[in-house]
Amino acid sequence: MSEEAGLLERSRREFERALQRNIKGLGYFNSPAPVVGASAKDVLIERGTLRLYHYRPLADEIYRVPVLLVMATTNRGYIFDLTPGQSLVEYLLMRGYDVFMIDWEAPRPDEKSLDMASYVLDFIPTCVARVKQTTGEPEVSVLGYCFGGVLSLLWAALHPDAGLKNLATFTTPVDFKQMPLFATWSDKRYFDVDRLVDTLGNCPSEMLYSSFDALRPASRVAANLRLADRMWDDEFVKAHRMIDRWGTDILPLAGEYFRDTTKKLLWDNALMAGTMEVAGRPVDLANITAPFLHVTAEHDHIVPTAASAPLIDMVGSADKEQVTLKGGHVSLIGGPNAVRRMWPKLDDWLAEKSL
Amino acid sequence: MERTDDRLREQRLFSVTAGSPLDPMAMIRSALDQWEKLANEHGAQFLQRPETTKALQSMTAGYLQMQAMVHDTMGKALAAANLPSRKDVEALSARLGAIEASLARIEAGRNPQTNSGALPRPPRTRKPPPRS
Repeated sequence: MSEEAGLLERSRREFERALQRNIKGLGYFNSPAPVVGASAKDVLIERGTLRLYHYRPLADEIYRVPVLLVMATTNRGYIFDLTPGQSLVEYLLMRGYDVFMIDWEAPRPDEKSLDMASYVLDFIPTCVARVKQTTGEPEVSVLGYCFGGVLSLLWAALHPDAGLKNLATFTTPVDFKQMPLFATWSDKRYFDVDRLVDTLGNCPSEMLYSSFDALRPASRVAANLRLADRMWDDEFVKAHRMIDRWGTDILPLAGEYFRDTTKKLLWDNALMAGTMEVAGRPVDLANITAPFLHVTAEHDHIVPTAASAPLIDMVGSADKEQVTLKGGHVSLIGGPNAVRRMWPKLDDWLAEKSL
Repeated sequence: MERTDDRLREQRLFSVTAGSPLDPMAMIRSALDQWEKLANEHGAQFLQRPETTKALQSMTAGYLQMQAMVHDTMGKALAAANLPSRKDVEALSARLGAIEASLARIEAGRNPQTNSGALPRPPRTRKPPPRS
């Protein structure tokens, strides 16, 4: 009897959901995109592809040392600030950090001449200087995500006297040969990066989007089928739309910067080979001596563990730590479980070092 | 509160009945998960083959060649029509960018406490909470 009752209840529920799918499915295509990145902020620098934001405080008292988030150049920084309740920026602000962010806009066609040096020797130092000027503090904690972490590492190694108080990187690769798909697709025998950059200028966002998508070729179809199945669930749909929007909001890469990244990192794997240089200046990560934290994701399909594992031994800091947490490349930072996993770990590590 | 109760009830029903062998929806969802995993594995293996890379990059090279031809043709047509080319527009954009950068430097020099610097900020005296 109870099994029959369960079967009836299940049937009733599935019928209700089928109705909701149809009704809400129509509404889905008519409704506006979810609002993301809405934490109140001021724009300190707006220069071509570069943006520096300063977030308005949410606490009555803040830590002395400001925090500068460095976003990867392929995507938008609102993954740090998806929505109230699911925002690393909001989390840090509420815990009393003074938060800044380096974010990016699509480089203009004339910005195709921007190279690695532009980001490491101009953009980041300019932003760090501006943070120090705005806060009146001589030191800054830098948190870099994915390739934002690579840029942060290069900057830190080349500017040992820049006032770096703490450095944290999230899912940051150093051994690019351990990213097998990217390494294969950029094989210098077949991939003529010079021709691409000389012809197109900036690397188109469509090409980068296809590359990321191809890492899990079936997942987009599966995600849309799950969306159709869960169309009745407003919270699921909202979460899907935010992450899907961010995942498709890929930026083009400045031409010379793309050429530099491909040749030095994907072809030469220069960080591992010890031959990395920026504008002729050799990079040695052992020059980084500030307290260092590297957080990796257990199920990272973009930066596998092997690609980021050597980093902890390359950095010269005495106080350094690497942790691997549950989650994927994106959910580690901006997923609904990040508030229980990565964010408290970061707060726990950073708070006492921000005095 | 009512919405939370409804959601909890839904989740309980979902979890109680989802594992039942009589739940076709759960079987379909599980099949989708397995298909996705297998398809991603096989897709990754296929895409990692050098022949696949060679083929894909050949297509890219073909596209770039076509783009270069179109650029040349359009450039000649624009020159003949005495209209600015893409290069001319990019040069204009670069000059505008340089002017914007100069303006930003001038503004920053005149008023160091611009934007958020002028807003009152909380004191920088926070201490971490005591460890439990």
